[in-house]
Amino acid sequence: MLTLLVFIPLIAAALVLFIPQSLSNAYKYIALVASLVQLVLAIYVYVSFDGALAGVADPASYQFVEKLPWIRMDLGSLGKLEADYFLGIDGFSMPFLLLTSLVMAVAVLSSWRLEKQLKGFFALLLLLNTSVMGVFTALDFLLFYVFYELMLLPLYFLIGIWGGVRREYAAIKFFLYTLFGSVFMLLVMVGLYFSVTDPDTGAHTFNMLHMMNPDNYGRDSLFSMASSSDLWGVSARLIAFVVLFIAFAIKLPIVPLHTWLPDAHVEAPTPISIVLAGILLKVGGYGFFRVCYSIFPDMVSQCAWYLGFIGVVSIIYGALNALAQEDLKKLVAYSSVSHMGFVLLGAASASPEGISGAMFQMISHGLLSVALFFLVGMLYDRVHDRMIYSFRGLASIMPQFTVMVAITFFASLGLPGFSAFIAEAFSIIGAFNSENLNGFIPHWMAVAGTLGILLGAAYLLWTLQRMFFGRTRLRGGLAWEQALTEPSKRELLAFWPLLLLSLWLGICPSLVFDKLNASVLSLVNLINNYN
Amino acid sequence: MEQFITHKVMLVLALIAVIAPFLAFLTYALGGKRQKSGVVSTVAIAISLLLSLFLAISAWNRELLHVRYDWFTIGTNTVTVGILVNNLSLVMLVLVPLVALPVHIYSFSYMKGDTGLRRYWMYLSLFCFAMLGLVVADSLFLLYMCWELVGFASYLLIGFWYERDAAIKANKKAFLINRLGDLGFLIGLAILFSEFGTWDLAQLFGHDGLIAKEGGADASYLTWAGLAFFLAAMAKSAQFPLHIWLPDAMEGPTAVSSLIHAATMVAAGVFLLARVSPLFNDTVLMTIATVGSITAFVAASIALTQRDIKRVLAFSTISQLGFMMVAIGIGQIGTAIFHLVTHAFFKCLLFLCAGAVIHEIQHQKEKHKLQIDPQDIGLMGGLRKTMPSTFVLSLIGAAALAGLPLTAGYLSKDALLIFAFEWANYQAGFWVFIPLLLMIASGMTAFYIARWLFKIFYGQNRLSLSIGKAIHYHEAPVLMRWPMVLLAGCCLFFVFSYNPLVFEDTWLLNGLERTDLLQRVNIYHTVIPAAINSVSIVLIFLAWRWYAKGKYPLKGSGMLYDWSYHQYGLNRLYEKGVVKPLLFVSGALYRFDVKIIDGLVLLVANLVELSGRLAAWVDRYVLDGAVNGVGNLAQGIGMLLRNGRKGKVQRYLLGMLIVFLLMIIYANFI
Repeated sequence: MLTLLVFIPLIAAALVLFIPQSLSNAYKYIALVASLVQLVLAIYVYVSFDGALAGVADPASYQFVEKLPWIRMDLGSLGKLEADYFLGIDGFSMPFLLLTSLVMAVAVLSSWRLEKQLKGFFALLLLLNTSVMGVFTALDFLLFYVFYELMLLPLYFLIGIWGGVRREYAAIKFFLYTLFGSVFMLLVMVGLYFSVTDPDTGAHTFNMLHMMNPDNYGRDSLFSMASSSDLWGVSARLIAFVVLFIAFAIKLPIVPLHTWLPDAHVEAPTPISIVLAGILLKVGGYGFFRVCYSIFPDMVSQCAWYLGFIGVVSIIYGALNALAQEDLKKLVAYSSVSHMGFVLLGAASASPEGISGAMFQMISHGLLSVALFFLVGMLYDRVHDRMIYSFRGLASIMPQFTVMVAITFFASLGLPGFSAFIAEAFSIIGAFNSENLNGFIPHWMAVAGTLGILLGAAYLLWTLQRMFFGRTRLRGGLAWEQALTEPSKRELLAFWPLLLLSLWLGICPSLVFDKLNASVLSLVNLINNYN
Repeated sequence: MEQFITHKVMLVLALIAVIAPFLAFLTYALGGKRQKSGVVSTVAIAISLLLSLFLAISAWNRELLHVRYDWFTIGTNTVTVGILVNNLSLVMLVLVPLVALPVHIYSFSYMKGDTGLRRYWMYLSLFCFAMLGLVVADSLFLLYMCWELVGFASYLLIGFWYERDAAIKANKKAFLINRLGDLGFLIGLAILFSEFGTWDLAQLFGHDGLIAKEGGADASYLTWAGLAFFLAAMAKSAQFPLHIWLPDAMEGPTAVSSLIHAATMVAAGVFLLARVSPLFNDTVLMTIATVGSITAFVAASIALTQRDIKRVLAFSTISQLGFMMVAIGIGQIGTAIFHLVTHAFFKCLLFLCAGAVIHEIQHQKEKHKLQIDPQDIGLMGGLRKTMPSTFVLSLIGAAALAGLPLTAGYLSKDALLIFAFEWANYQAGFWVFIPLLLMIASGMTAFYIARWLFKIFYGQNRLSLSIGKAIHYHEAPVLMRWPMVLLAGCCLFFVFSYNPLVFEDTWLLNGLERTDLLQRVNIYHTVIPAAINSVSIVLIFLAWRWYAKGKYPLKGSGMLYDWSYHQYGLNRLYEKGVVKPLLFVSGALYRFDVKIIDGLVLLVANLVELSGRLAAWVDRYVLDGAVNGVGNLAQGIGMLLRNGRKGKVQRYLLGMLIVFLLMIIYANFI
């Protein structure tokens, strides 16, 4: 099942490559069909997923597990190398499968009008889809790493070829930043590999679930919990945690490792912005839980204060930066930084509410930021401008579009009834609860985090006021007024499901929480064991 | 009757009362552009009114209706939703539709011909739904959701005329200040959650609830929680210094102002405090009382000089909300709610009267193509002859606001002031400033509302005089008049008590919780009403001489006048002290982001590039000659580097690649 989910887009990509250029119109249909099939499969997975099974560190309660030997190499004196094709999901990964397939479908719909080198574009987009799905399902660290690195390749080209004026600069920046993180991840992975042995075969293994079990570490190995080896006077496990954290935090992103994000978003074409904000940022958050927290649960209590602090700084710093933007797309990009700060804050609390809130925030942001970028893209498609001060009084000429923008803005600033409300409220409540529960992060961080909610309202409402209300005045004059048409059917079709889903989740959060609770509690227990 | 009407039926009825406006909202939201008539909204609110009246009659003083269901489970905690109906919610449940229905009917005539009617009815119904949901919510979390929705609906309605700059600035301001309060609410929720693990009102605040059992042991978190909820109430109920959004909110249609920014939404803060009142300890109560009294005084002093017909009323609302806050602060929840109810009626009435006047002047303005502000009371005058019904209705409203005998306002205001004095007596010492501030505010109230009334309805028709052309006003249309008559009826004493002079016979007050902590000081119960009313009558007379007879002795300027007229300069202070610095900081941070953080990143990249060049240099000059091929390769790389296009990115990439390779080599050899 998961294999299908991962490789359907790859098959579609191959199909796109083999269909001649003369039939280039077919590419988008192939991509759309692939995403829709994937979406149906993901819904099936969601429905049949048993929320009572926890997963996390317990191999037995993972679901849809597929395990095949992948690499078996005898290295002589170094022992045997063992890596598996090992897929499986628990509550932390399952929601992202659904989110990925949905966002990918929207991304395809929003690239409908694209004209440049369609073959390459759709092939790369589908390849990206495969790699993201792979990251979310892989339980073998080597496999995970391969998919993780594989994401970079298509993205680099998608930004670098189809992007805006400074696309090459943005693409390289994005590439280097992420590479920087993953190089260190590679080191830790190798270190873990040498520390952990498969209890059944005695061989060194990349199996992440084995890495989560302290009994599998060699007695004197680098990352063994018992021996607590030091590197340069610091606990090796601490260094590994921090290094992995930085690798994923670049993706999330956090302040001060976020500067690739505004550039990448501004230069990326709309569909890529959508994918970037909707899914790729979530890979960072997913990595925290799957890798950092699960493999190094004993380090969480030491680092939680710093994580929470970075989270709060990201929330406020991102929001203040958003306030200063005059480019609508950059504003949305910085608002992403702010919103993902809530993820970090909730995660740092290591309380059930905080972690659930963080997960919910990622899903909610996945829907709403996609909607936001999509709306910006609609405007840009029409007049090739997205500076805030170029527009005024859009409500009078595009009432329907204004309604869409206004609802999305309010949804993402946390209006009750929409998913962001539940997400932010519980991230904050969980963070606040932490001091009483486990003493990880102090009360004031939660209180400071609420400022992000206020500032979020400020920059969004200010934008609404400046661009949409008042008397109509456009920089492009009459020509623009004619170009600014109401949304087309295709655009409505791509947009409304996102919003309705956000609304649905806001009203029935149990759709997510029921599938998530067991895993969250299991992770919290895992961390508490070492606290 | 109880046999037939079970608990369950009553709860269903309450639910229908809440949902009806929501269904109306959906009808407009999904009904497309053709759905313009306000009938759906009006019918919905009428249904709400009938059901809640029925509920009030059958459940008043009898039983607590409570039902709840699991909503979702997060971790191990289950969040519930449900309905909780007790006397407090019954009062509000009746009050909201009772005020809203006349406003709906009034709107038919007032908003006639507006192009955005569909939006208008949609927003209005959404507001009613949120407000009704707020009063029956059984958990603080649900209450919080409705609380925010109320703020959202208010945002939409203030900015209803979205082409007006003032309107859209006002609604942004209103929403942001309310948001600030929401943060307080959220923090309060977080505190309660981390202490008690539940938000259920009955479990927390019931007679044998968690607060009663466990509260007080560790008082500091209770203080913080209390203050957090008070912050929420301060924003929503426009308490000093967060009141500045309310006067600006008058940019919305007047019918909206009357419902939302006078009678219901702004009262939500008072209602919230009444709901969570067991939470408050002395520190919090004293804070509430102090802020309330300052608000009552400050707002009344600003209302003295305002020239806009609606702004006078807006500041009056703020001042009266301050009175209610004091009542909460002195522990008289019942009195606070009683004053909330009477205030809702008379203030709604006054706003509708103002609306009738504005409507008529607007009409004349369009007819004669005048360049005037239809809300300036300086241009009115003499309207009592041409709009006699509106005049009489305004008179009733004004009398109730001033607290003159025979009105409902008299009962609630006297109760409030007497309790305040008794409380000060009990507290002793300098706390007497609270009732004294209220006394002064009450005197100013009589004066400013008399000024308002006399300037509009007495004297000469100043508009005719100023343009030198006869202007003939007409009485408000019947659809606007009758709703006002209904409200005026509710402003009189017999609605609340058979005894026009003594508040202690009021049924509403006796149905709500009251503290018996205070010792009854008999003398207060006669002296205070007598004193206040004498002062009021003297001041009203003074206003009559000044404004009705035109014997105004002052020059209408001077420091105190300006101070009051410019609202103590608070708006400027916020603009200069908060908004400007915030924008400056955000701009500076953005420059920091681009120059420093991104600059550092580029610096690192440059260093990497440098090491790449170094490697190339070593290659060329150290290893050159030894291996020709390597040398050529290095030269090739050097060429590549030198000839790289304007972007240096390729060079970074290359440098990075080299470092990367080195690392992999390193990694494989440890």
